[in-house]
Amino acid sequence: MVTCPLSTSYTHCVDLDRVVCGWYWCEIMKMPAKEQTRESGRQKELAQRRVLDSFTRAKRLRRQLEALEQDNFQEDPHANLVLLKKKLPQFDSNEDTPTTKKRKKRGDHFKQRFRKTFHMLVEEEQLSMNEPPNYLTCCMPHSPAPQRKFCAVCGFPSNYTCVACGARYCCTKCLGTHLDTRCLKWTA
Amino acid sequence: MAAPTVILDNGAYHVKIGLASDKDPRHIPNCISKSKSERRKQFIGNQIEDCRDLSALYYMLPFQKGYLVNWDVQRQVWDYMFGKELLGLECPDTTAVVTEPYFNFSSIQEAMNEIFFEEYQFKALLRINAGTLSAHKRKSENPEHRCCLIVDSGYSFTHIAPYYNSQKVAEAIFRVNVGGKLLTNHLKEIISYRQLHVMDETYVMNQVKEDVCYVSSQFYKDMEIAKLKGKENTVCREYVLPDFHTVKRGFVKEDGSKQKPNEQIVRMNNERFAVPEILFHPSDISIQEKGISEAIVHSISATPKEMHPHLYRNIVLTGGNCAFPGVKERVEKDVRSLAPVEYDVQVTLPPNPVTYAWEGGKTMTESKEFSKLTVSKKQYEEEGQNICFDKFDV
Ligand SMILES: [Zn+2]
Ligand SMILES: [Zn+2]
Repeated sequence: MVTCPLSTSYTHCVDLDRVVCGWYWCEIMKMPAKEQTRESGRQKELAQRRVLDSFTRAKRLRRQLEALEQDNFQEDPHANLVLLKKKLPQFDSNEDTPTTKKRKKRGDHFKQRFRKTFHMLVEEEQLSMNEPPNYLTCCMPHSPAPQRKFCAVCGFPSNYTCVACGARYCCTKCLGTHLDTRCLKWTA
Repeated sequence: MAAPTVILDNGAYHVKIGLASDKDPRHIPNCISKSKSERRKQFIGNQIEDCRDLSALYYMLPFQKGYLVNWDVQRQVWDYMFGKELLGLECPDTTAVVTEPYFNFSSIQEAMNEIFFEEYQFKALLRINAGTLSAHKRKSENPEHRCCLIVDSGYSFTHIAPYYNSQKVAEAIFRVNVGGKLLTNHLKEIISYRQLHVMDETYVMNQVKEDVCYVSSQFYKDMEIAKLKGKENTVCREYVLPDFHTVKRGFVKEDGSKQKPNEQIVRMNNERFAVPEILFHPSDISIQEKGISEAIVHSISATPKEMHPHLYRNIVLTGGNCAFPGVKERVEKDVRSLAPVEYDVQVTLPPNPVTYAWEGGKTMTESKEFSKLTVSKKQYEEEGQNICFDKFDV
């Protein structure tokens, strides 16, 4: 098996003839980097300064897709309270909530055997000799239809690609917004 | 009196739970939420209904990518639902029907058996895929159909699952990695970039999504309409966000009404249909996979050829995302254009696509075969995990 250069673990993969990590690294690398037809003066100037390589673009895309999986974007509003609780001797478990003694025991026992992250579960599935079909084999292949292009700023169909980062835009106004806001700012 | 049976459709977003004798299930958010306004309290499941300020809710969810990984949270939600506050179950006298996602990991399956038999001590258990319950329901309504294709589009992902005589055709089940959570997060992301910072407002933006998003059957035409100004733009809606003081729940602003001071408005234009469109074109946000309609054709083509006409004729849409207006028409249109011309294409949207699986569970408990499908606590004590792995096909 080939490991994705961006991530050491797969979230899903294996589609007969190809191996794809959850973040589509292989797919992205296959995409032609430049498709745009016209360039504005501002773009040319920018392109001379810096152009993101496809590896960085892939990393950036992966981060965007990962963000779509997130449960929360803000801090836990009770984060400080949990800390306080932990300092008190009667709540010395690492559970978030104070519970009865009995429950705690049950929980601890459970934690050892069944507490697994999603990645661990997927890895177990890969190592197990479970016959397909399984979680790994039931994923969808690529659509044969060509990818549609939408402006990263306004969401309408777009004809142009930013030379620097590969984002799409539909008009000079949106390009301006893009350059002023996101273009190379996410890549730190 | 017969022993009670509880049906627990354990979704990653909502649990649909009720006794087999109930007419409808209750919908309980499958999470623990924290509000920034109530510092001392955590809200389990639907306790959140008592919370006045639903802005910037913080969620703790038992599921990750559609699979149960956070047992601490899950058990608090179950404890609450089984307990006096909600159903008041006497577990040792009760049979439980519990749903799980397709291709559930064996470690999770083991944990499920252990919890339901050893911790809660249920009298008997049936663990089953929600789609199988839906297929059962469909079969009971239309016994003349041998085959059906269940589309189950939920919070974490979408599965396409063909059934023959209520048995799933496992090698033809496929997963599209797009679900309601991704759609809501994407909506939050684009609104935050284009208009107003709403990244923390999952609860509110999910409501916006449910209130105004729809699936278009004329995507590029709607894009053109959304570009028009004024009255000609029939797509655009102005949505008033709740502030949880004067506005308790968000709503669509009526045409021509003036903006009140302090009212926060989100302009939902192409977002209304471009967001659910990801179900049909995951590649629009660079997820390189086939969308639902293509996946239906893909899945059917993986079944034996004799089944094809029967599956095309009996496509059933279930799960929360199928509640978007326009889903049925779109699936019908797409699949019609992709399927071989000689086949009839028929798509069914049940009156309530969210509770369809639960209703199927209810129907199943009423069948003569039901007790043969379950594993009793006694059997579990004698034969352990093995009998569960033999009997439950999830
Ligand atoms: Zn634009
Ligand atoms: Zn750029």
